[in-house]
Amino acid sequence: MTEGSGNVERLVRLAEDRFDAHRDANYRYTDRMLAYLLIAEWVFGILLSLVISPDAWEGKSRILNIHVPLAILLGGAIVAVPVLLAFVRPGWILTRHVIAIGQLLTSALLIHLSGGRIETHFHVFGSLAFLAFYRDWKVLITGTLVVVADHFLRGAFYPESVYGITNPEWWRFLEHAFWVVFIDIVLLISCLRGVKEMRRLAEQSAQLEAVALSHMRG
Amino acid sequence: MSRRDVGFVLLAVVWLIVVVGGMAYTWRYKTIPGKAATAPERWPAASELRRPSDRPTLVLLAHPRCPCSRASIAELARLQAVIGSKVQTIVLFLRPEGMKEGWERSDLWSKASEIPGVAIVADADGREARVFGTHTSGEVLYYDRSGILAYAGGITGARGHEGTSAGFRTIVSLVRGQRVDRREAPVFGCSLDTKSTESKGRT
Repeated sequence: MTEGSGNVERLVRLAEDRFDAHRDANYRYTDRMLAYLLIAEWVFGILLSLVISPDAWEGKSRILNIHVPLAILLGGAIVAVPVLLAFVRPGWILTRHVIAIGQLLTSALLIHLSGGRIETHFHVFGSLAFLAFYRDWKVLITGTLVVVADHFLRGAFYPESVYGITNPEWWRFLEHAFWVVFIDIVLLISCLRGVKEMRRLAEQSAQLEAVALSHMRG
Repeated sequence: MSRRDVGFVLLAVVWLIVVVGGMAYTWRYKTIPGKAATAPERWPAASELRRPSDRPTLVLLAHPRCPCSRASIAELARLQAVIGSKVQTIVLFLRPEGMKEGWERSDLWSKASEIPGVAIVADADGREARVFGTHTSGEVLYYDRSGILAYAGGITGARGHEGTSAGFRTIVSLVRGQRVDRREAPVFGCSLDTKSTESKGRT
């Protein structure tokens, strides 16, 4: 091996190291950020259930609205493991995929707690945008699969709650999924550009380090 | 993979089963209908409500504090925007026996009052609810201009869940004089029955 090719190899390895370190730092940062977001959403869900309608009624008897225990217990269960992994095992591949599932299930729960208001459905798109912070397109796929599975299963078992009709065509869930895929494409392009940018910065950083090192030696 | 990571994988699998099970329970609960009405086929003479003979009459019976009926009132507002003055629309708010006058004037009452062309009436002691044979908040009865019952059921697709429903579309079709496939639909809401032993509707 010549000295020139050895230098190039060292430079490539250095650039790879810088890239990996930067990407790992971004994964860890996003894990923590989304963990705080999940906790905030859990608290928000509880407040929503307490403010909107803490009580339900049977005739003249007041009873606790099921939304309150659902927000506390189911909401708590949804965020518990993603938050745990974010702090105990940050940067790990499973952590971000579990967070993606938790984030989209939180969307589903908030839609439920708000009585299916169309406005709350925008939370799904916001969640996918937050997941794009990872710059890992595979996480977006996981989040999208949760949305598609939710619509597919509800469409199969409780069709009227999703489509307003009792016998929708089997492909109706694809119509809803289409709009999620639409934003996915935008976010996916953003993720790929982000990774490309990170790699370019890593290469520049490695080159600068190599130049600085050769000057010091020279 | 370390033993610790294997533990985390197992934890994630258990977690997924638990939360998916929780969501499934939630949706099952939301789609359990309340007790259906046994509404008279002809406009009941015992009712104190006036029915015009030149247009159909739609009656929505609601519990003023039922959280699920928020969605029914929201859907009524959308329905009213479509059917307008072609139908006389009345919302009856239950005031159970023993409750003070004004108890029924909840935020739901205020929301219903804001819908143009809707008459709001207090149903003292649930008298009209009994006359119309209704048991669940959110029940909609649609009588045609000759006083024949054309539809009985809810106008939401699930408990406290906004969005289009079979009941909503049936009423729109009836108003437009189109053919309808069904004349009833499930109703989702709190029980209107004031005796706890009679309560079949879920909240």
